[in-house]
Amino acid sequence: MRIDPNFVPEMLANLQQSQVSLDTALEQVSTGLSVNEPSDNPTNAAAMVQNTIATGDLDVYTQNVSTALSTVQTASSVLSSVVTSLTSAVSAGTEGANGTNSATDLAALANEVEGILTSVVTAANTSVSGTYIFGGTGTTTPYTADSSSPTGYTYNGTSDTNSVAIGDQTSVQINLPGSQIFSNSSNNVLGALSSLVTALKGGNSSDIQTATASVDSALNYVGQQQVFYGNAETQLNSQETFLEQDKVTLSTQENTLIGVNESTAATDLSQAETDNSAALAAVAKVLPTSLLNYLAPPS
Amino acid sequence: MGGLNTALLIGVGGLDAAQGALDATSNNIANVNTPGYTREEAQLNELPQSDSAGQITGGGVSLEGLQSIRDELLSMQIQQQTSLQSAADTESASLQQAQTYFSSTGTDVASALSKFSSSLAELSGNSSNSAVQQGVLAAGQNLASAFNTTSSGLTSVQTAANQQIPDTVSQINSLSQQIAQLNGQLAQVPAGENGGTVEDQLDQAVQQLAGLTNISVTQTNNGETITTGSGTPLVEGDQSYNLQTSTGTSGQLEVLDSNGNNITSSITGGSLGGALNIANQVIPGLMSQLNTLASQFATAFNSAQTAGTDSNGNTGAAFFSGTSNLSDAAADMSVGLTSASQIAISSSGTSGGNGNVANLSAALTSALPSGESAADGYASIVFNVGTAASNASTQSTAIGDNLTQLTTQQGAVSAVNIDEETANLMRYQTAYEAASRIVSTVQVLDNAALNMGSGTSF
Repeated sequence: MRIDPNFVPEMLANLQQSQVSLDTALEQVSTGLSVNEPSDNPTNAAAMVQNTIATGDLDVYTQNVSTALSTVQTASSVLSSVVTSLTSAVSAGTEGANGTNSATDLAALANEVEGILTSVVTAANTSVSGTYIFGGTGTTTPYTADSSSPTGYTYNGTSDTNSVAIGDQTSVQINLPGSQIFSNSSNNVLGALSSLVTALKGGNSSDIQTATASVDSALNYVGQQQVFYGNAETQLNSQETFLEQDKVTLSTQENTLIGVNESTAATDLSQAETDNSAALAAVAKVLPTSLLNYLAPPS
Repeated sequence: MGGLNTALLIGVGGLDAAQGALDATSNNIANVNTPGYTREEAQLNELPQSDSAGQITGGGVSLEGLQSIRDELLSMQIQQQTSLQSAADTESASLQQAQTYFSSTGTDVASALSKFSSSLAELSGNSSNSAVQQGVLAAGQNLASAFNTTSSGLTSVQTAANQQIPDTVSQINSLSQQIAQLNGQLAQVPAGENGGTVEDQLDQAVQQLAGLTNISVTQTNNGETITTGSGTPLVEGDQSYNLQTSTGTSGQLEVLDSNGNNITSSITGGSLGGALNIANQVIPGLMSQLNTLASQFATAFNSAQTAGTDSNGNTGAAFFSGTSNLSDAAADMSVGLTSASQIAISSSGTSGGNGNVANLSAALTSALPSGESAADGYASIVFNVGTAASNASTQSTAIGDNLTQLTTQQGAVSAVNIDEETANLMRYQTAYEAASRIVSTVQVLDNAALNMGSGTSF
């Protein structure tokens, strides 16, 4: 059978193919990616869209967790100091109610409790990077002095709360409004302290006792509110761990979807180089040969 | 009985035959690299023997002519595969270009969605920070411009294909005219004789035509009848029919036959078929998905935005604008807000809270009316464009392999082999020398016969 004598086009096509393999191998090694454009692997390229978004969000979620943690921890420590203050107020009240105090003693105790009241108000007005952590969603100072109010203070915040996104579809509430913690209608911390001051100034043991009891109950109440911050802190800490794991998962996924196995890529590259030089050498060797090379020139 | 003259005639016939064969060989060698050239062979026939008084003598050789060696069936297969490959190549080139707009370049829609999503997550953690609010607005603008860029990228691919269509049609027309002319020339060649050069040119032109559109070739008495699509004639004998283009009702280019009938849908092969498929099917399909995504996402995000309250205490205004016209949604998408303070962060009816940020974020992750989230919707488009590009290129490679195989087969039949021609050269040289020796020998013998019984020699 006659064979095609014109092997140049086929040889060039083979050379081109070997060049393409070489280019692909080179691209994979130099970019470290096996999917450089959607057609390299449409399924993986499509899956990378979600991965890109999730990876971008992850850093922000991690940042949000650390910001939220600092807010929650601040709130928690502020409430601890409030609890300490209230404990001192209860001691002062108990001391004032034992009936052995002189008017001077009672005035001193009233002064002490007044000081405590001021420090609790200061605590309730705590702000973290410009945000009042007990002001609900309000942007003004939560508690300001108001002589018309029975407690002596008025609440300017809102009863709403803010939540922070710490994961896809996961958010954590990071504050309780001051109206719930400090000026709740059933356990009004500021009201109880004000009453105690008034009672101590009045000097009536039974009034002092009643007022002390309500400060004590407010103390318990604040203690209960602290649990919220403890829970939030636990949730944030566990989310932090989860996000760290998720980061590893996402980066592993990214590597699986579009990354290259470096040793495979390097092997492919060296294989492609060998193939290419073999093909070139073959072409160089075959091209010049024909029967004419072996014939003596006509005499 | 034969005499010396018979031997002389046979010798001269041999000289003619060797001469013809040498002509064929030299023509073959000269055209070894001529595209479309088909090798020629000298057709040598044994002449009838003569029977003179019971003595049978051979009649020598006659040169019937030179015959081009071709395989019409292979040519036809090559034409079909050329049409297919040309279409796949055209589509592959366009889609390679289109898919760069969907690659992870940092300015693509996926990156922009990612930035927008993370800017909203940041807003959730730091809602009162005006720099963070500004970041959301900027990320929104970035997303809108990513949609704009992708849309205009697809449009530019479509425009390029659209420009290619009339050019290709005019090339088809000029080739049809050329083929018709060659058909006319071929008709002058007596039946049974070798068309040679004309046929080579004709094959070459038909081959080129096959690269431009899908054709069907029928051999008739008047040469080749060539039709495209589902039977629209391009060439019949020495008559050619021009195709033309026109713009359809929805703005797409259409191909019309010489009578003005729309034959666009039947043009499936060649670079014309590829360009038509890109301009009228593939790009509009991708564009429609992109527009639907832009429009549905903008609507969902705007409705989350209008449900909240902005930093000025007003009900949120639409965040994205320009997406009301579905057919231009991706191209015209822009951010409607003029200030970051207009982002509806609060859900409580007054400013300060961040309750609406979760709703804004949810617009990115919840299913749109298409049934997919924005990210999944975009991922589908990436998958579609990637699959289309990969299919076109795989198809082109596969057909290319097939075509190489067919071309090799055709080469085996028709191509000039220098080794073979060199051998033939030596063979016919020897034959010519031998035939000349017959002539000179007969001359010597004639002389000898004439000199018989004579003292003087001639």
